[in-house]
Amino acid sequence: MKLIKTKEENIEENYLELHYDKIDDETNAVLERLRDTLRYIEGTFEDRKVTIALTDIFYIETVDRKTFAYTKDMCVEIKEALRDILEEYSNIGFARISKSSVVNIYKIKKLQGDINMRVIIFLKNDEKLIMNRSYKNEFYDRLNKLQGRKTK
Amino acid sequence: MKLINKRNFISIVCIFFTLITCGKLLCEKLCNFTDKYYTDNIFTILAFSVLITLILSVHYYLRKFPFLLVFIGQYVVTVGIVFFCIWIHGLLSANAPTAYMDMFWSITIPFFGGAVAYYICFFYQIRKANKMLERLNVEE
Repeated sequence: MKLIKTKEENIEENYLELHYDKIDDETNAVLERLRDTLRYIEGTFEDRKVTIALTDIFYIETVDRKTFAYTKDMCVEIKEALRDILEEYSNIGFARISKSSVVNIYKIKKLQGDINMRVIIFLKNDEKLIMNRSYKNEFYDRLNKLQGRKTK
Repeated sequence: MKLINKRNFISIVCIFFTLITCGKLLCEKLCNFTDKYYTDNIFTILAFSVLITLILSVHYYLRKFPFLLVFIGQYVVTVGIVFFCIWIHGLLSANAPTAYMDMFWSITIPFFGGAVAYYICFFYQIRKANKMLERLNVEE
């Protein structure tokens, strides 16, 4: 399978196009990965319905039994519970960092430890999140799995 | 994951006991030292092994609290328990004049050594994770 990247200026949205005669195992594996990555989630933002790509979400947190997904410039209320999000989307980079929040590993800039053994997560949008000691191992496992998948 | 549970508690105590006793015997052999209170010290090592395993086993339940607070709390409680035991022992028979000081160092050294090792592992893990994140971000 070949990958051809073409730079086009002034297009509305990036897109992928697949040219095939027969979908073989390799192509199928790529499609499987894309299906997860290009998933969208519905929610409400300022009283209107919006659809956001999962890959645009920086982190998701639960406040007063409501779940909010944070993108670069929106805070969208979504219907899914944190547990469902982890069950469905942990393979595309979502990992639990506390009882009430889940982070998109691909949106992390760096990690920093503090004296109380908590991990401070610096996101690419310059926000900071705190990871509890109890979720540390789960987070590193998820990161290792993602890294393993990338290097395969 | 809970590493020390009811099933493996005794076996972990046995491992600690064996390791400490072997270390003690090795040191004695190297220094040509004869322990006059061999039996007493063997029981002290056993008590120590139970205490160490107990401290490590409760760590799992205290993960949601700040580490420094847990560490200081456990240290103070351990020193308290050990000093209380020495005091009880003193009522039954004579203690060595340096008993409190000896036990203080016997607790402090492994406690702080363990904490330093824990910190090193913690920051090493973060460094490793940062390298992985860098790689992921480059590949993205």
